[in-house]
Amino acid sequence: MSTEDKVKINKLPTGVPGLDEIVGGGLPEFSFNIIAGAPGSGKTTLAHQFVFANATPERPALYFTVLGESAIKMLRYQQQYTFFDPAKLPDSIRFINLSQVVLERDLGAVLKEITDEVEKANPAVVVVDSFRTMVRKPQSDMELQSFIQRLALFLASWQATTFLIGEYAEDELRDNPIFTVADGLFWLRQTPERNSIVRKLQIIKLRGQDSVPGLHTFRITDAGVQAFSRTFGLSGHLKDPPSHRRLCFGIPELDKMLGGGVREGDSVLVAGSSGTGKSVLATQFIAEGIRQGEPGIVAVFEERPQAYAERATTLGLDLETPQKVGKLKILYLRPLDLSVDETMHSILDAVQKIGAKRLVIDSLAGFEMALSPGFRADFRESLYRMIFALTGIGVTILSTVEVDESFTEFPFSTYSISFLTDDIIRLRYVSIDGQLRKIMVVIKMRGGNHAKDIREYEITDKGVVILGKRLTNYQGLISGIPVRSDRPDSKEEPSLDTGIEHKI
Amino acid sequence: MRDLADRLLTYEAGAGKASEPMEFATLRVYGKLRQSLGEFVGVAGFQSLASRALALAKPEAPSLSETQVSGDGALHGLGEIETQIDMNKDVAGEGGIILIARLLGLLRLFLGEALTLNLLRNAWPGEVIDNHNSAHGRST
Repeated sequence: MSTEDKVKINKLPTGVPGLDEIVGGGLPEFSFNIIAGAPGSGKTTLAHQFVFANATPERPALYFTVLGESAIKMLRYQQQYTFFDPAKLPDSIRFINLSQVVLERDLGAVLKEITDEVEKANPAVVVVDSFRTMVRKPQSDMELQSFIQRLALFLASWQATTFLIGEYAEDELRDNPIFTVADGLFWLRQTPERNSIVRKLQIIKLRGQDSVPGLHTFRITDAGVQAFSRTFGLSGHLKDPPSHRRLCFGIPELDKMLGGGVREGDSVLVAGSSGTGKSVLATQFIAEGIRQGEPGIVAVFEERPQAYAERATTLGLDLETPQKVGKLKILYLRPLDLSVDETMHSILDAVQKIGAKRLVIDSLAGFEMALSPGFRADFRESLYRMIFALTGIGVTILSTVEVDESFTEFPFSTYSISFLTDDIIRLRYVSIDGQLRKIMVVIKMRGGNHAKDIREYEITDKGVVILGKRLTNYQGLISGIPVRSDRPDSKEEPSLDTGIEHKI
Repeated sequence: MRDLADRLLTYEAGAGKASEPMEFATLRVYGKLRQSLGEFVGVAGFQSLASRALALAKPEAPSLSETQVSGDGALHGLGEIETQIDMNKDVAGEGGIILIARLLGLLRLFLGEALTLNLLRNAWPGEVIDNHNSAHGRST
């Protein structure tokens, strides 16, 4: 069958930010869907958002309430959400209470009541809340299956997109006929993880179109449910072709060590112990970008944006003006129950708003601490998804990471995330001539030449300043306790590596 | 809500015969509310609201002392007592106005004014609901 011969299934907006992307562009029109989950998981709110997004006076929504939350209380609370438009009631959205017929009569009478109302109103959307209570009375499996089958057939024939809401447990998935009949199955969960509550949404089933698999975090705010796709809304985005452009730090000697700068779209890791100047280097990277006309984002977790900007001023870097003119955004992401997906949403939103080319994450340890405990366990996987998504749209990411200083080892990161980064710059202390001095080395640059030199540097009121040439009169520098050799310091320019990737 | 209750009763009184007692208009307003709200909140939901409204109205209107809301939400005993107390039509309607105002007041309390008025528009013409000369939201 050619593409033209196939029936085109319209996709309806879910009214839930982020959910359209997760369900593959919108909810299939005339589909018969279940929203399942425990009490308080957001089922009713999600259904309301869909209803308010799609109901019109010509094709209204019928919202059948059964036993459970009364319509008065439901509307009292739901109208607190910003999506709730009272003008839509009752012409576009009608609430119909079925408690009496459910209590006093059989499923046949319930079906008759629903079909009568649907035939009268010609609705585009039908919601039954809660369907579980509607079918709770004892009845045979066959009777229940027949009721569900007839209801699904009728509502689809009457061109209604349907949501049945129910408090189902996951072990019911196998035996309950409702899940077989449904075209779409949305499962909402909220699970306590230490002191945090994490809400997750899973599209267990969606006929006719590709949904993004897996568990997606969501949040309920005064705007209702907001979902955060695991692919960060970038699943349809083709990775930009690799750029050959180099992005400078504005530190001439370091840029030379990097073979002209880091490649655009790279993920750079600056690793070092406390006080080695990771944040200073990151600030210089972002400031140089702004100087070159490349807007930037700084995601800070350990200090307030104001303090971050003030510290930059002491290095002679003005971060206030670019913030005012929309070239720089300093994001403070500190809540302790964030998911990576929410963080990504904030970052992506900022990236798109100002067209950011450079992103600094300062630091990965702070980022990890800001996450809900459950997400910390998946931190590496989450970072992978985030870095892949951001570099895919051409953003160059510089992350700082604190490593424990050891005088016997030379670790690159406490997170074992070196594989996630294209380039690694390692900063460390060394003990030389009775002083604790600092050295810098470029460990890795994926697909590019870089210097093998170990260089000494200082942090001055101009930021990171690299001193002299490479240190050739010491051996064992990376141990932190070098031994003086007889060779004088090098006067040569940095020698560049071939760019062959080292296994780290 | 008293103004609105008054307008609804006046509208329903105008829709009936001139000679009929005022409580007929009250019963018609109540009946329409029962029908439209009953669909929305269910029989039990409406019965709860109506009985609460009656409990609130009774101390203000002695004429409602024998009035009751039955299990299906119907109003009983309104006309009989009012007629016994006073044959003056204005006074006879007072208990009805207070009861309806209390019922509307409960709706406004739970749902807010905008939503309450929208629901009423389903049962009465918009101009009866949206009387811009009246003070919406005046407490009863």
